[in-house]
Amino acid sequence: MQVYEVFRREREGGPMQHAGNLLAPDAELARHYAREFYGRRQESVRLWIVPRSAILDLDDPDLLQPPFDRSFKKPAGYSTEIKAKLAAARARAGEGEVR
Amino acid sequence: MTTGEPAATAPRAPEALGGSGGTRSAPPVNQFDPETTQALKHLLLATADDEFVIGYWDSEWTGIAPVLEEDVAFASLAQDEIGHAQALYQLLANLEGRGDPDTIAYGRPPEGYRHARLLDHPRTDWAFSVARRFLYDTADAARLDALAGSSYEPLAGVVAKMRREERYHLLHMHAWVERLATGGEEPRARLAAALERLWPDALCVLDGIDGDGVLAEAGVLAEPMAAIRRRWLAGLAPELARLGLPAPPAAPTGACRGPGRSDDFRWLWEQLTMVRRSDPEAVW
Repeated sequence: MQVYEVFRREREGGPMQHAGNLLAPDAELARHYAREFYGRRQESVRLWIVPRSAILDLDDPDLLQPPFDRSFKKPAGYSTEIKAKLAAARARAGEGEVR
Repeated sequence: MTTGEPAATAPRAPEALGGSGGTRSAPPVNQFDPETTQALKHLLLATADDEFVIGYWDSEWTGIAPVLEEDVAFASLAQDEIGHAQALYQLLANLEGRGDPDTIAYGRPPEGYRHARLLDHPRTDWAFSVARRFLYDTADAARLDALAGSSYEPLAGVVAKMRREERYHLLHMHAWVERLATGGEEPRARLAAALERLWPDALCVLDGIDGDGVLAEAGVLAEPMAAIRRRWLAGLAPELARLGLPAPPAAPTGACRGPGRSDDFRWLWEQLTMVRRSDPEAVW
């Protein structure tokens, strides 16, 4: 038996999101069980069934949680400021809102 | 029971409750003569009872199947069958112009059921339940093929939906038979023994319908049951030969669909009617 991770799409156009996992002896039964666990109530339009062994795992804190302040790498701060300045400039110039 | 069918989800009139032969406002509608209508009713009842009874037997595995995943899968197949039974009982109620699926399903004595005697066996062990469901689902698929173009349109409509769900049943049961047949000495021996024991009764799934010839002439069925049965067995033969599993006997013998029933079925009937018998007039 091996572990399979299952991802599901709830509706057309939506993202694939992690649904959970299951145990199966092979790929064929993994598909059947994924359908039972995450699709039998019409809650999914697509499933991805992935052997956990195929997943590349990364949890190194030096790579993912660097110790210094990284707030300047987050886009939220300056982008809204720029947007606000642009909007103010347009308002002064008598133009409409940014589309 | 609940379903997506408008006819079944509509509020029931008070007089239709309780199994006392309540009446409905709509008169029975069909295009057939009395003999064909009678045969159609028998076909609907027998098919619905098959689905209903296997649904109950296989739901017995809930909580005790070999692995959790299969527990969910097998219970889900069983639930599908109960849903199919409900849709077929509803067709029968519409045709009769009275009654409702619950009354038909739960309001009869054991002798009143018309399921094939394949479903008189208890669940026994896992290989036995797999063997039975494999035989049942493949036979049922042949029967549904013969009903897909039915001249009785309400039935053709229900069958179209059933076939979509049965696709998965077939995939799952072929997968299990393959695994038990090739999975070592004991699973293989248990599966083969179960098939030997069940074959004579499995043939009854496609037999014992009074008036199936008339139904074939009226286009309700594509062909009589014996021809459907031959088609089913011809389709299975290559798989059975490849896996070295027991082949069927030539033809069914004895009564296929009651009224005599096994003690095992009587036990199941006690279980499945227990709640209703405790208060037949109760409303959910």
